[in-house]
Amino acid sequence: MEIDRILSAEIESRESAGIEALRAASQHPIPDPDGWLDEQIKRNMLFTTVDAALNWARKTSLWPVTAFTACCTFEFIGASSARFDIARFGMEVLRASPRQADLLVCAGTLTWKMAPQIKRLYDQMAEPKWVIAMGACAISGGIFCDSYSVVPGYNRIVPVDVYIPGCPPRPETLLAGIETLRHKIEKESISKPR
Amino acid sequence: MTTTIDYKDLAVRLQEQFGEGFTASTDCLEVPPNLVAKAAEYIKNMLDFNYFDMVTAADYPDRFELIYRLQSLSHNVLATFKVICSRENPSVPSLANLWLGASLQEREIYDLFGIEFSGHPNLKRIVLWDDFEGYPLRKDFKGKVYGTAN
Amino acid sequence: MDWSISPDWPGNFWLRLIIIAVILIAFVMSSVIMFIWMERRVIARIQSRLGPNRAGPFGLLQAFADTIKILTKEDIVPTLADKVLFWAAPAIAFVPTLMIMAVIPLMNGLQLADLNVGVLYIAAISAVSAIGIFLSGIAGNNKYSLVGAIREIAQLISFEIPMVLALAGLVIACGSMSLSKIVEAQSIPFILLQPLGFVIFMVAILAEINRTPFDLVEADSELTCGFNTEYSGMKFALLYLTEYSEAVVGSALITAFFLGAWRGPILPGILWFTIKMFAVFMFILWLRGTLPRLRIDQSMRLAWKGLLPLSMFNLFIVSLQTVFFPDLALWISIPAYIIISVIIIILWAMFMRKERQSSNA
Repeated sequence: MEIDRILSAEIESRESAGIEALRAASQHPIPDPDGWLDEQIKRNMLFTTVDAALNWARKTSLWPVTAFTACCTFEFIGASSARFDIARFGMEVLRASPRQADLLVCAGTLTWKMAPQIKRLYDQMAEPKWVIAMGACAISGGIFCDSYSVVPGYNRIVPVDVYIPGCPPRPETLLAGIETLRHKIEKESISKPR
Repeated sequence: MTTTIDYKDLAVRLQEQFGEGFTASTDCLEVPPNLVAKAAEYIKNMLDFNYFDMVTAADYPDRFELIYRLQSLSHNVLATFKVICSRENPSVPSLANLWLGASLQEREIYDLFGIEFSGHPNLKRIVLWDDFEGYPLRKDFKGKVYGTAN
Repeated sequence: MDWSISPDWPGNFWLRLIIIAVILIAFVMSSVIMFIWMERRVIARIQSRLGPNRAGPFGLLQAFADTIKILTKEDIVPTLADKVLFWAAPAIAFVPTLMIMAVIPLMNGLQLADLNVGVLYIAAISAVSAIGIFLSGIAGNNKYSLVGAIREIAQLISFEIPMVLALAGLVIACGSMSLSKIVEAQSIPFILLQPLGFVIFMVAILAEINRTPFDLVEADSELTCGFNTEYSGMKFALLYLTEYSEAVVGSALITAFFLGAWRGPILPGILWFTIKMFAVFMFILWLRGTLPRLRIDQSMRLAWKGLLPLSMFNLFIVSLQTVFFPDLALWISIPAYIIISVIIIILWAMFMRKERQSSNA
């Protein structure tokens, strides 16, 4: 019908304007959140029991959001299956809604067409939230880094906490990355910027 | 098992029906661009090729080739057809009105190669966004390189 | 121990009220914590993997970690959401579950209110909790939550009627709607005396508390969390708590009505109640680990075409037994009723299958 054509044309032009705007705005990678490494601040702050308790709770119950793009997803699925169980770390509760999840596991190649949706998903997540970039395509675009349609790394779009190399990384590597993230969360403090 | 058809025989038959330009080889039948619509209708209705398997394009230095694969599910036959068009203003009649399965595939070829399909009900970009400039799968596509900070 | 009002206790009515209310809330909360742990571990073992085992010995502190984490998350309220409903809906969903616990006897006399219309009260209040879920689906201004809320109301209404009719069979058999009298009448647990009623009630309770196979309300792959899509932080903690406290209350209802709540030989009553409640919940977890999810039209067909006629048969048979054979010896009536129930279920299933095939063809 004609009205469908007009409406869909408007939707698509808005979508492509959004994609072009995002592409223009993501020319440089977002710096990794490394406020926890700042030695200056660390010397002046002591870790309180409140920090210890909160960090323990947050690292023991990290809930991923089900938003995966490409092939690294299957390694994530393998890691959540019987042999390499991520449920041991309390992570088997994959919440489909971003508002209840804390962890965005960027598994797979990101294209410019999908990028505004991942940004929207990240924005909808409630603080505190963390991002793991899993696989070569998530770190830097992988073998598709020069492509016309691939974002060269998720850190153009969202700030990434842990990078897991591999193409795809084996489930044990993913578990090592999750363990690294847990160590990072342990060292956070509610009074320090992330 | 799925068999193929005798292309030389089909070329002769189509030549009798519609005119010159049909070239047959051992594994495909080349259809001239001006007779695509009529030949497609004949193939669908008379020869009962009711399943549109795929259409894809190949970029040569001097031409575009469109490769069609059609199947007849009732007779268990698979056949390959080719249409050659020039690189300047490439335009081919669309088969989306005959086979619905051609609709999205022709949009993809338009998106990535820039080949126009005349008569297509909704010819616009499908895998890339509307404002994308250029046709990436052409061999002379020089887009921005995003591996570096660019 | 007799918990009835002692005349020389100072402030006797109010003290008893406060103490038993505290005991009930503590019971529900600690059962919820245990149920969360049991769910994660038992379902993991059914799926031949381990469950959470890093958070304290055997993962026992996992529920505490989840709770603390959810409570300290940012609380997001969407701009276009209905603010009052958004704030109130989780509370409306949670409070009725505690209200139902008020009439369930945990021990002989350990009951917050011994209403003589206990069954009617339970049937009425269990619907209010679903209203809370429905409101939380609407308030978020999100089309997925709305669809989840609509499915929830449809499922609730469909399964409410067979549930109440199964309870009506109990009421006829014992002659009273008061829960304490129903428990007192269970020298032989009603699961043996009314097996068909037990099956109907079990399936209806599973649907009321939105557990697998009826958890299409929050089906991940279809609805991105259904009614609780837009909630985060403390309100989501309340909805998460509601899900498990409904499971606690559902199991408690089944033990109170069909397993003889606190009756048992040696151990104190509340320990028997807890053991039976956990056994029922293990059965519910077993179902969750094994069965796939039903679609909304399949579950409604089960309610209207399957459970409702079966519950009417149940009522008919119980009435027959009460009127014409009230003193039938147990060794006749129990096997007879079990055999009659099995025959009715098989015949009805065959009849429904034939009707469905003829309507499909």
